[in-house]
Amino acid sequence: MCAAILAGPALAEQPQNGALGMQPAATRIAERIHQFHGFVLVIITIITIFVLGLLLWVIIRHNKKANPQPRKFSHNTLVEVVWTVVPALILVAIASQSFPNLFYQDVVPNLEQITSKGKQLQADGKTAAYNRYTKNYFPEAAEKGFVNIKAQGNQWNWTYTYPDIVDDAGYPLEFVSNPLQVGLSTDSKVGPRNLAVDYPMVIPVGRYVRYYTAAADVIHSWTVPAFGVKTDAIPGRLNEGWFLVDRPGVYYGQCSELCGVNHAYMPIEVRVVSEEEYARWAELMLAGDYDAAAASVRQVASTEQATKFAAKQ
Amino acid sequence: MDEVALDHHDAHDHKPGFFKRWLFSTNHKDIGTLYLIFALIAGIVGYTLSGLIRWELAEPGIGVLTQFVAGEGDVAIQNAKHFYNAVITYHGLIMIFFMVMPALIGGFGNWFVPLMIGAPDMAFPRMNNISFWLTAAAFVLACVSMMVPGGSAGNGFAGGWVLYPPLSSTTGHPGPAMDVLILSLHTAGIASILGAINFIVTILNMRAPGMTLHKMPLFAWGVLVTAVLLLLSLPVLAAALTMLLTDRNFGSQFFNPAGGGDPVMFQHLFWFFGHPEVYIMILPAFGIISHIVSTFSKKPIFGYLGMAYAMVSIGVIGFVVWAHHMYTVGMNVDLKAYFVAATMVIAVPTGIKIFSWIATMWGGSIEFKVPMLWAIGFIFLFTVGGVTGVVLANAGIDHALHDTYYVVAHFHYVLSLGAVFGLFAGWYYWFEKMFGIKYNGFIGGLHFWLMFIGSNVLFFPQHFLGLQGMPRRYIDYADGFATWHHVSSIGYAITLVATLVFFVGLAEALIRRRKGVANPWGEGATTLEWTLSSPPPFHQYNELPHVTAKGGH
Amino acid sequence: MAHDEVKHDYHLVNPSPWPLLGSMSVVVTALGGVTFMKGLFGLEKGTWWLLALGLAMVAWVMFGWWREVIKEGRHGDHTPVVMIGLRYGMILFIASEVMFFAGWFWSFFEFAIFNSARVGPNWDAANPLFAEGLSRFRDWPPVGVETFDPFHLPLMNTLILLLSGTTVTWAHHALQHDDRSGAKLGLLLTILLGMMFTCLQVFEYQHAQFTFDGTLYGSAFFMATGFHGAHVVIGTLFLIVCLLRLMAGNMSAEKHLGFEFAAWYWHFVDVVWIFLFAFVYVVPFLAHGG
Ligand code: HEA
Ligand code: HEA
Ligand code: CUA
Ligand SMILES: [Cu+2]
Repeated sequence: MCAAILAGPALAEQPQNGALGMQPAATRIAERIHQFHGFVLVIITIITIFVLGLLLWVIIRHNKKANPQPRKFSHNTLVEVVWTVVPALILVAIASQSFPNLFYQDVVPNLEQITSKGKQLQADGKTAAYNRYTKNYFPEAAEKGFVNIKAQGNQWNWTYTYPDIVDDAGYPLEFVSNPLQVGLSTDSKVGPRNLAVDYPMVIPVGRYVRYYTAAADVIHSWTVPAFGVKTDAIPGRLNEGWFLVDRPGVYYGQCSELCGVNHAYMPIEVRVVSEEEYARWAELMLAGDYDAAAASVRQVASTEQATKFAAKQ
Repeated sequence: MDEVALDHHDAHDHKPGFFKRWLFSTNHKDIGTLYLIFALIAGIVGYTLSGLIRWELAEPGIGVLTQFVAGEGDVAIQNAKHFYNAVITYHGLIMIFFMVMPALIGGFGNWFVPLMIGAPDMAFPRMNNISFWLTAAAFVLACVSMMVPGGSAGNGFAGGWVLYPPLSSTTGHPGPAMDVLILSLHTAGIASILGAINFIVTILNMRAPGMTLHKMPLFAWGVLVTAVLLLLSLPVLAAALTMLLTDRNFGSQFFNPAGGGDPVMFQHLFWFFGHPEVYIMILPAFGIISHIVSTFSKKPIFGYLGMAYAMVSIGVIGFVVWAHHMYTVGMNVDLKAYFVAATMVIAVPTGIKIFSWIATMWGGSIEFKVPMLWAIGFIFLFTVGGVTGVVLANAGIDHALHDTYYVVAHFHYVLSLGAVFGLFAGWYYWFEKMFGIKYNGFIGGLHFWLMFIGSNVLFFPQHFLGLQGMPRRYIDYADGFATWHHVSSIGYAITLVATLVFFVGLAEALIRRRKGVANPWGEGATTLEWTLSSPPPFHQYNELPHVTAKGGH
Repeated sequence: MAHDEVKHDYHLVNPSPWPLLGSMSVVVTALGGVTFMKGLFGLEKGTWWLLALGLAMVAWVMFGWWREVIKEGRHGDHTPVVMIGLRYGMILFIASEVMFFAGWFWSFFEFAIFNSARVGPNWDAANPLFAEGLSRFRDWPPVGVETFDPFHLPLMNTLILLLSGTTVTWAHHALQHDDRSGAKLGLLLTILLGMMFTCLQVFEYQHAQFTFDGTLYGSAFFMATGFHGAHVVIGTLFLIVCLLRLMAGNMSAEKHLGFEFAAWYWHFVDVVWIFLFAFVYVVPFLAHGG
């Protein structure tokens, strides 16, 4: 078991034994989820402890021994108003964070707008405002446009299509990503058990990625916890989402909608590499040399140090 | 009229013989008992299935379920994967449709709604009986469906209790198992609709003189709201199931994308039923908890009207939040925002209930008898489950947590540690009243503490698993999830001991037969059922009780 | 206490075998149905006798059960308070039926409104439903599906059903005024109109240019109108039973719950049809420019 974990690249984002929280964020989306979740977690913890405290209080102070003579009141308008209004206010507070967070991750950003807004701010010399803006939006990446990828769920593997990478005949790059190891067979292959795949999805670091999900047979769900994204792949529909990974590395996810016998065995592996490596990988893939392509991105995670988001962990 | 009275008199004096009494029953207490026995049996089945789940998940890899399926080596592994999915599916369905609902609504509802409102029986005693037998029929069909071919890798339907097509259509499960299951749920649905009609009519039409709705005990309120939810939500499920059935057998295209149909439509219809369903399972428990808290604090319920209308508003809002189960299907962001807001609103009336229970205890003279232990456990654990529900309500977070063990943890806290704790609270509260014998308080207490510890060890770590990204409905998981899964299974072992203790306590009570008294709880127990003998006469209230200004609740 | 005189007017029913037999027949019907559709327990697909047996059992139980109820009613068990309860019960049953149809209408609307929008990225952002309102029905039914002209047969059927709603009310009033022959006549007319509706519906189905299987429009159309049709048939049977009971001298000006319920049910079926006519027949037709 341990061997399997060590075999994986050092910076891989994958589940850790005994961990209590979410996997470290690799996108701004995930980071905002973490922040928001941290905020809600504090609130619900306080509420739960408050309820527990009240319960303990009445258990200790108002039991038969401590208080032999029960009081008979059954109304108190003030406290009733308080415990209606205060939770409502707490919910308003939660919602005030929830909606911006939701809209941020759910609406595919308008790249032209981001580019021009960034240029504008810089041209006006508003450095502080620009820096604030770039916390959530990435004008430099926006200028380069989207990397488009389609993930199609099949029973039981994923087919990735890169409409931006086309061969001479005009066909886009398309390949199937199968799990490397299923069950307990850790013998010969590399990568973490139940997570690693033969041909991973590869994307360039620091680029806006727009992904689409579709399905061939039944419903699947494409997710990468470290990115904070999860989108169902539904036959007859094309769903979409976006993310921007700021840190090279290898990230794992697992199909998240029950899809039949091998639901537990259609993992998702995403390798985030530099633009050059991405171009090289694409070239190899187009040439049909899948294994060389996979090998070319194998070392990714351990070579580059984490950047922006990792620093905040 | 004379003739009528005479005829009735006849029926009263003699309890019918054994077979007539239990097979042809038209007596709400007997039917209630039948429901409880039924729920107990189904509970054991559901509990055993959950044992298979935890046993398999105790260690990574597939090592346990292979013993239960045909074949060797890889074939066995393949079959075990299907079997696992079937196990979780029937675990969920059985626990919900054949354990919690029959126990809380059929069992306690039948027993105590008429007793509490001062009615001699239910409004439609014979229809009451078919509600029970149809539930039993549905269970038989569900068991048949487990045994007949489902998918390519084995028997039974293995697509989760939510039955999403195309996995539940012929694409995923061509065999007859799914068809039998659909008809089983139709049958259970009809049973519940008839039961709901019965409860509503009983409560509206048969309250004792002087018992206005605003004096009615909160358990009856809980069942009333529950019944309305059942009445309005189950037919929608029936429609969805019917479409699924014709899609499977008669070539209709409702959920078939190839024919222009939409699998997501099924999810909408399902959750339009499914979300009210979760409140159906908790509202009767809310009612039970109110009585227990008031009885053992020796205080009237705090904020009675607020409590009643909190349940009403939970029921109403419960109808407009269904799509919070579908945040990842590709809904428009504005719709998501609406469902976030609507869902979170439910925390307010629920909070009113939690705080009112505590205020009922406040200033009271609390006795920690067994039912009270369960009730206090309920209040705390339900709060834990409720607040994680509020976390999930936020679509932004749910994108990360949907279909992970965080959801599993959430709903077991509100169901297994909420509804089931309420069930056991009611069981110990009314045991003596129903069966006329006393149980051993020590064993009851032990049952509670083992269960309290066990189920927390069982389900709390699942929050961590979910946050780390552990998906639901996985027979096998990445090694990084091993620790907490292992702990969770240890928790299951503790609940196994607890469940054995429960049966020991039941056996002890049945063997010793210590004679029960009419009101074992003293001055705090003010509702009408405590004015009757234990067990109550075969037909109570031949002369209707009069409820005066105070009282009732 | 147990031996006290009964001093209330509620109806304590005697033990009855029908519920148990009823649920047994449901099990047989369900398993029979699956046997027929899929084959089960070694029986071939298409084996019909188990299903037929189950249905026969169900019919037998219904007959026995309701006969018991009618006997009790005539015996005086249905006191005023019990009658109120029965009325509540019927209303609630109809309420659940309304929700059953809500399921059909909901899916019909979804299919209609989002038919072409369903596929494609950002499908509902690109297709603002609320801005375009009912014109979204333009895509429904899908191209190539030949629908009915609502203003021929369907309109006629609408008028027939509306008329039958008035005749049943006539019968009811007549009964209330103890005009039994008027009641019988009104009822007979209602039944005939109901049958006429069913016949016309069957005729229309036979001339449909689309089928239940294979097309989404056909599925949605036949399911919604078909379940309505089934309710018309049930309602007609219900009315026939009332007519037979009237002819047998059953029911009185004061007490005729069975009749009342049949009439309510009939009105409910009527109202459902109005909605079907409006949204399944007329709106898509108009949205296509007539
Ligand atoms: C008894 C059953 C029950 C109950 C009562 C609830 C109660 C709630 N549930 Fe739960 N839920 C389920 C059973 C239940 N649920 C089940 C079975 C599933 C999974 C189905 C499946 O997919 O298989 C599910 C799934 C589920 C989801 C979908 C998750 C997903 O699949 O991604 C969501 C999301 O919104 C949710 C939310 C809520 C909320 C907000 C409540 C609220 O009603 C909770 C309100 C209570 C409190 C908040 C605590 C007390 C209040 C206070 C102390 C006041 C102060 C509090 C605040 C201000 C926050 N539930
Ligand atoms: C009421 C509902 C209910 C209850 C009580 C339980 C109880 C338990 N459940 Fe669960 N469970 C579900 C409803 C419930 N469950 C649902 C809906 C799902 C989702 C299925 C799906 O994904 O499709 C699920 C899924 C589910 C999973 C996730 C499977 C997966 O996704 O792969 C797991 C894993 O550990 C689990 C475990 C357990 C355990 C260990 C118990 C228990 O062992 C805990 C202890 C409980 C008891 C000991 C109670 C025993 C009660 C009686 C014996 C009856 C007593 C009766 C009378 C006194 C009358 N359940
Ligand atoms: Cu694909 Cu689960
Ligand atoms: Cu819900």
